[in-house]
Amino acid sequence: MIYEQLAGNLVQGLVLGAVYGMATMGLSLIFGVLKVVNVGHGAFIMVGAFVTLWLFNSLGVAPILAVPAAFAVGLALGLFFYYIAVKRLLKGPELATLLATFSIGVLLEELIKLLFGSEFRGYNWEVGKIDLGITVLPMSKLYAALGSILIAVLLYLWFNRTRAGSAIRSVVEDSEGARVCGVNVGAAYAWSFALGIGLTVASGVLVTMFIPVGINPYMGGGYTLKAFVIAVLGGLASPYGAFFGGLVFGLLENGSYTLFALIPGVEPFALTRFFSFMILLVILLIRPTGLLRGK
Amino acid sequence: MKRDSGKYLPLIPVFAVYLVLFLVGDNISGMWQLMAMLLFYCALGQAFNIFLGMTGYVDFGYVAFMGVGTYGMAVSITGLAHYEGLGFLVIVIGFVMAVLFSTALSLAVGAVALRLRGAYFAIATIGVNEGFRFLIEGARIWNGSEGMIFMAELNKILGRETASALATYWVDIIVLVIAALAATVTLVYMRSKIGYALTALREDEDAAKVMGINVTKFKIIAFVTSASFAGLVGAASWALKTPYVFPPEVFEIHYTVEAIIIVLLGGAGTLLGPLAGGLIYGLSKYYLSIFLPGFQLLIFAPIIILIIVAFPEGVVGMIKKRFRDTALGRYII
Amino acid sequence: MALLELVDVTKRFGGLVAVNRVSLEIEPGQFVGIVGPNGSGKTTLFNVISGVYYPEEGRVMFEGKDITRVPPYKRAPMGLGRTFQIPRPFASASVRENIAVGAMFGTLGGSVNVDESLNIADQIMARTGLEEHRDKQAGTLTPVEKKLMEIARALAMKPKLLLMDEAMAGMHPSAIDEMVSFIKRISQEEGIAIVAMVEHIMRAVVGMAEKVIVLHYGSKIVDAPTKEALEDPKVVEVYLGKALEE
Repeated sequence: MIYEQLAGNLVQGLVLGAVYGMATMGLSLIFGVLKVVNVGHGAFIMVGAFVTLWLFNSLGVAPILAVPAAFAVGLALGLFFYYIAVKRLLKGPELATLLATFSIGVLLEELIKLLFGSEFRGYNWEVGKIDLGITVLPMSKLYAALGSILIAVLLYLWFNRTRAGSAIRSVVEDSEGARVCGVNVGAAYAWSFALGIGLTVASGVLVTMFIPVGINPYMGGGYTLKAFVIAVLGGLASPYGAFFGGLVFGLLENGSYTLFALIPGVEPFALTRFFSFMILLVILLIRPTGLLRGK
Repeated sequence: MKRDSGKYLPLIPVFAVYLVLFLVGDNISGMWQLMAMLLFYCALGQAFNIFLGMTGYVDFGYVAFMGVGTYGMAVSITGLAHYEGLGFLVIVIGFVMAVLFSTALSLAVGAVALRLRGAYFAIATIGVNEGFRFLIEGARIWNGSEGMIFMAELNKILGRETASALATYWVDIIVLVIAALAATVTLVYMRSKIGYALTALREDEDAAKVMGINVTKFKIIAFVTSASFAGLVGAASWALKTPYVFPPEVFEIHYTVEAIIIVLLGGAGTLLGPLAGGLIYGLSKYYLSIFLPGFQLLIFAPIIILIIVAFPEGVVGMIKKRFRDTALGRYII
Repeated sequence: MALLELVDVTKRFGGLVAVNRVSLEIEPGQFVGIVGPNGSGKTTLFNVISGVYYPEEGRVMFEGKDITRVPPYKRAPMGLGRTFQIPRPFASASVRENIAVGAMFGTLGGSVNVDESLNIADQIMARTGLEEHRDKQAGTLTPVEKKLMEIARALAMKPKLLLMDEAMAGMHPSAIDEMVSFIKRISQEEGIAIVAMVEHIMRAVVGMAEKVIVLHYGSKIVDAPTKEALEDPKVVEVYLGKALEE
């Protein structure tokens, strides 16, 4: 009985982790290629959430189909912000890109608040549940997890089988060498940034499929922290590391919540979030380059 | 060379501005609230500038220090309320507690985070707000997520009238003093070895190390100083003005955003920068709230992006360049 | 007792051995050239001496004290100074302030205050011809002026030994001669040992150096008074006959 519960917990954690991991891939990609830390990361997830909300409530589009739309929105936003801000700051002090991405996040939050208001919203996508024996999983969560895995696989294939993907990998290895070989390094940076943002906005859709409530302009903040914990877990520069880091984090978060819930007199939700912060600090102390290898 | 008196000249414009703000608020009816708000932003900016401006590191978790400062005052008030006859001493102790708490938290965070470079440091601080807020809520420290309300205790300690006068007038004077103190400390640092070390490590941390500068030590000095002032501001502007403390409010990242805007707008690393930034931001927010309430961040976010890209030295930085070689230049630093 | 002594220092990066069992001695006031092509380990060696890297094996001794694992910022007040190939000024500070930093945290660190450090900076600026740039922002100087300031800043530390990293790289030949005799003069007047790193044997530096140490793929192949080193067949081999030219 206990094992069943534990196994059920495990599955829930992995499913959650897949979505978390996918939500972090964009962050790691941008850091890996441009060495820029996107402090406004959570805001882009929030944008994806609102895209889903709007498409579902206004046009009745099923969330799973909102993913490509969100991705496109993300690409556009990414290119826009790259050319007006990020590009000019790449050569300057680190402080500049940190503050710029942070401000971009604030800007997005305020814009969305202006357009949609700051109340908490949600949607209801009823597609039933699936009984896995050890645990019961809403289909929407399963779709979210499968979608995450699919995107991770597609990204892998794109990086390793296409010319564009190889061009970007070469820029990461040695930008001067790549330039000499005819790779348009500037474009590579721009498209990498755009791709990273696109992935992040798309992940917002999957996140809402997992948690279709509490959507508001300021929801991004909590996800930014989680994303950083995951990114640092998996190696800040590796998107695949981020995915596996997400799985680990999903397990840890789920497990710690269950554990804290057993302790009387504490609030498990809050403590779990404190716990993730502690993990972040510990890893930054011992191994900032990440616990998992893999590029 | 008898130049010692010249060292602290740049404080004159700072104190002059604060004096003007006070006089305007005190003598023109209806202006006190606005002046108080401007003073709050100036104090916040001066305090934040000691770290962001002088080291070039960003602490995204800054508001946490204001938060624990608020708790310091709250704890003092609720803890000492039942001792008869302490009166104002409770407030003084409250400020001491505020500084102790914020110093303690900054040492704890700093010990871990300040060993990390630029981006990693920023990442570490992103979670400090969250982390600390959820620790308080999760472990039910100081009443956890219910927060503390101490209006009754404050009235009991000071008497209803005094407490009210404190909240509406004297607190703002205290904030003015804090702002002036922060500016003074900033200048003292700038003129001392601490300032030189901080400039060196901000410009080129590795070269600074090789020149004999213990960069971690100086980062900690700036970090803790900045945090202590944040604690004082929180204790005054939050705990004493509105006698309750509620975790989601005092750990609201919004204030860190405002601090960043103020310092960048005015000119990071300059003495007058936070002053200019505080005034510009405060006035804008005040007047915007009449026509377009809640819009100030929406308007300032793109302005900040513009500043970062095109005018990184801020308003005072640009003025400083213009007047660099003139007599006026000695006052604008 | 040697001022600086390296005993069997080895530094590895993963599988690559950048410095391989190098031992050497520098006496007080000596002018030594460290020479070797790109990849010979010179920069790594400098980084080990200044504390940026800690070696896997071997010891670094300064004035008889083991400083192998002492952090870089502690080595400066002991008397170990360093300049970089590409100058690293504190750009937003003035030239005067830059040089003063050297005085504040170098060997005099504990005994000078800010004003005294600024005075020292003034003195050094006079000797190095930098006075006209006194209050300019260091970031606005020309590359040659930055190099000069780099050296001035290191001198303000009042070092006992100065590591000069490719100090002459990219300079016009006539400027090199001037620079070298200036450094030699300072070295003799202040009693500072100079360890100058160069990529290939340059007649000017070599003409001033008392001895030359040649590195090749991380190992020391020659450690001899200059004249001998120039005629050593191993050196000739490494440099394809350049040493035979005058």
